[in-house]
Amino acid sequence: MSLEPTEFMSKMVSRTGFSADDKKILQDTAAWGLEIAPEMADYFYDYMGRDAEMSAILNESEGRIHRLRETFVSWFHEMFTGMDSWGGDYADRRWRIGLIHVRIGIGPQHVVPAMAVVVHEAGKRAQADGKDQQLCDALSKICMVDLAFIEQAYIEVSSAAVLRETGWSESLFKRLVATGAAAM
Amino acid sequence: MAISTEKLTHILQSFVTSTTDIQGAAVVTPDGLPLAASLPGGMDEERVSAMSAAMLSLGDRIGSELARGGIDRIYVEGDKGYGILTSCGEDAVFLVLADKAAKQGLLLLEIKRTLSDLKAVLM
Repeated sequence: MSLEPTEFMSKMVSRTGFSADDKKILQDTAAWGLEIAPEMADYFYDYMGRDAEMSAILNESEGRIHRLRETFVSWFHEMFTGMDSWGGDYADRRWRIGLIHVRIGIGPQHVVPAMAVVVHEAGKRAQADGKDQQLCDALSKICMVDLAFIEQAYIEVSSAAVLRETGWSESLFKRLVATGAAAM
Repeated sequence: MAISTEKLTHILQSFVTSTTDIQGAAVVTPDGLPLAASLPGGMDEERVSAMSAAMLSLGDRIGSELARGGIDRIYVEGDKGYGILTSCGEDAVFLVLADKAAKQGLLLLEIKRTLSDLKAVLM
């Protein structure tokens, strides 16, 4: 059960309807994206920091929050540039970011609402700066694609650990999850 | 040659009805899919199959990790009886449910006999 980032990216792009027009509008406003990225990082980490559990994780080691903030700024900007036009490099980086979230313990339950805050605040800023609604829609779509990577990283890492330690096949594991869910 | 589920079911039914203190039996795939079963009423065949495959697979893993070699069978002993899981070749797992009063030697002998019948059908 190992995720292939490019394939996953392609599925998510298709499922969210992230189009060539979305890519173009994001690339055309990449400079604006970089300009507002630090402000969005503030919203993201301010929101996360309000939760005691998250605050402890974010400030666990010296300089962690600073490094995470820097990563956020790059990540946010990359949603506009698309790196290699939202290809393999983009997908690999999103997968690695997902794995970092798993490693340091920032789960979907924290990232999902924090990402919603970013989408909301970016939308407000876009409106204030007279940007087109299509930009907000495109940004929302690519945010959801990136969020899917983070959520999937949790599933993949957890499943891989269970399969490795138990020797279960992937289909047996899925069957156990399905029968377990049916019994809940 | 196609596997005959009728033959598998017949072997299981005959094993369950003719062996003293046996309450049920099932043959499942290593992925946890039922091949044939003769289980007590109220037991969900799908769940029993998934659980059986999971246990044998985990037992194999434990055997390997704790340097116990290949695992022949797994016993679950409760105050109401036994659950015995035996590998039935590479493609199946044999589950036997026995009453607490079952005689161990007889039980193992019957399992061994039935295993060879099952393997013949599964080959």
